[in-house]
Amino acid sequence: MTKREYLEKDYRDALSKYLAEQTEQALYLGQKISKSAMESDISPEEIISIHQNALKQIFPELSKDEMHALDFLLEVMLEYGVAFRELQSLRHQQRELKSEMEIATNVQQTLLGTNIPVIDNLDIGAISVPAKHMSGDYFHFVEDEHKRVAVAIADIIGKGIPAALCMSMIKYAMDSLPENRTSPASVLESINRVVEQNVDSSMFITMFYGLYDPSNHIFTYASAGHEPGFFYDYQENEFKELTARGLLLGVDKRTMYKQYERKIEVGDMIILLSDGVTECRTNEGFIERDTLVELIQDSIHLDAQSIVNNLYKKLEKMQHFQLRDDFTLIIIRRKF
Amino acid sequence: MMSTQSYVKILNEWDIVAARQVGRNVAKELGFGTVDQARITTTISELARNIYLYAGQGEICIEKLWDNGRTGLRIIAEDKGPGISDIRRVMEDGYTTSGGLGAGLPGVKRLMDEFDIDSEVGVGTKITTIKWIR
Amino acid sequence: MNISIDVQDINSEVRVYVKGEIDAYTAPRLREKLYPLSDKDKVVMVVDLSEVSYMDSTGLGVFVGLFKNVRAHNGDFKIIGLSERLHRLFEITGLADIIHIKSHAEGGTQ
Repeated sequence: MTKREYLEKDYRDALSKYLAEQTEQALYLGQKISKSAMESDISPEEIISIHQNALKQIFPELSKDEMHALDFLLEVMLEYGVAFRELQSLRHQQRELKSEMEIATNVQQTLLGTNIPVIDNLDIGAISVPAKHMSGDYFHFVEDEHKRVAVAIADIIGKGIPAALCMSMIKYAMDSLPENRTSPASVLESINRVVEQNVDSSMFITMFYGLYDPSNHIFTYASAGHEPGFFYDYQENEFKELTARGLLLGVDKRTMYKQYERKIEVGDMIILLSDGVTECRTNEGFIERDTLVELIQDSIHLDAQSIVNNLYKKLEKMQHFQLRDDFTLIIIRRKF
Repeated sequence: MMSTQSYVKILNEWDIVAARQVGRNVAKELGFGTVDQARITTTISELARNIYLYAGQGEICIEKLWDNGRTGLRIIAEDKGPGISDIRRVMEDGYTTSGGLGAGLPGVKRLMDEFDIDSEVGVGTKITTIKWIR
Repeated sequence: MNISIDVQDINSEVRVYVKGEIDAYTAPRLREKLYPLSDKDKVVMVVDLSEVSYMDSTGLGVFVGLFKNVRAHNGDFKIIGLSERLHRLFEITGLADIIHIKSHAEGGTQ
C-alpha cells in the first residue's frame, strides 16, 4: 500500500469510529491523521477527496447532491493547498535569509567592535542597539599615546543592510586616518571627501567627532549635521545643548567644519546620541529633549554605563519595545 | 508519442470557463480522479487568466497524450502579448501581481508534473505543462 | 502612513505640494515622482511642506538628492512651509545654510 492508501484506511476507520460513538478519542485520532497527512505532504484538497471516498464506502446510498457538494468544496480548497505549499517554500527561504543575516550581523559586530577606553579620571558609558538586525549607527573610541580620547558617533540615513554597508566604508575611512589623529574639524573634512565620492547622492551621513584631552580637560569637537548632544554642568546642575553647526557628510566635498572647545570641570558630563534617541515615538508623540533630560536626571547618581543602560530601558518601554530607529547613546563624565 | 488536440481561443473572461470545461471533459475521459481534475482545471484557469489579463488574447490547447504506456494531459497556453522580461522572477514563490498567495506560475508548476515556459519580450509567451495519470 | 504629492507647473516654476508623512515607506514615492522633474536645465523647483506632519532622515535624503540634482542643472531649489520641527531638522543638518528654506512663521509665499 502507498502512504495515501494507508492514510485512506486510517481515515475511514477513524471516521467510522466517530460516527459510531462520537467520542473524544475518535476525534483525537482525527487530529493524529491530520499531522501524519502534513508529514507525508498530503494537501487539503486530497484530504477532501479522502473524506469523499470514505463516505462513499460507509454510506453506499449517499445522495448525488452530497457528493457534488464535496466536489465543490474540493475545487475551493485547491487554491488553499497551493498557497499552503507556497508558504512552506517561503518559510524555507526565510530561514535561509535569516541565517545569512545572522552571519552578516556577526561580521558587522566584529568589524565595528570598539573598546571603551579606561582612563583614570574619566567615567565612560556607551550603548548601541540596532532597530533591525544590522545597525546604521556607528560609534568608536580611540585612545592615543598622549592619553587623549577620541570619540566618533555617526548615523547613516536609513536602517538595515544598506546603512550597514555604508557604515563599513566609514569604518574603513576612519581606520585610514593618520596615526596621530588631527583636529576634529579636519577629521570630518577628510571623511566628508570620502563619503562625497563614494555614496549615492540621496544617501548621507551625520557625524560628531570629539577629542578629550585629560591633561587640561578640554573637549574639542565638531559636528557634521549630527543630532546635538548635551553638556551637563555639575556646578549649576544644568543641561545645555552641545551646539555645533556643520553640514551633513557627502553633500559638498569642499565643506569646511567649525571646531568648538569646552572646558570640562569635575562632575561635568558630555552626552552624545543618535537621532534614534530623540526620534523615539511614544503614544503621546515624540520624546521631547526635556523628557530625555529628566530621564537622565533620574539616574545621575549612578555610573555612566548604568545611566545609558537605564535610559535605554526606559525609552524601550515607552515605545512598547518597538525601536523605529537605531539607538546609540554615549556618556563621558569627568570623575576628578 | 501520440496525441489528439482541442483548442480554445481566449478573448474574454467567459472563454476561461470554456477552456476549463474542455479541460474537465478531456481529464474525465482520460480517467483522471477528482483531485487531479481540479488541479488540471485550476491550471487552465490560471493560464487562461494570465492570457486574458496580460496579453489580451491567446489560445489554450488541450491534448491527450500517450507515451510509453503512460496516459497524460498536456496544456499549452500561447499568446503574442508583451512577453515576460524576467522569467526567473515570475517563477519565484511570493512573486505576485495581485497581492495574494497561491496560484501564479509557481502554483501551476506545483499542481502539474511537467512545466516549461518560453517567453520573449515583444513576441509572446508559451507555457507547456503536463499531468500524467498515476 | 500615507502621502499625496501634487505637482503644478506655474510660469516655468515647478510647485510641489506634499501632504502626509515622509518616512522610509513613503520617501521612495516622493523620489520617483520628483527626480524626473529636477532633471531639466535651469529648473526652478519649490516644494511646499506645510501639510507634512512628519519627516524623518530618509525624507531629508530625498531633498538633499533633489537639491544636488537641481544645482547640477543650474536650477533653483526652494523648500517652503516648514514646521518648527522640520525647520530644526534643516538647521541641525546644516542644510539650512545651503538650501533656500522658509518656515511657517516667515510666511509660505514670497
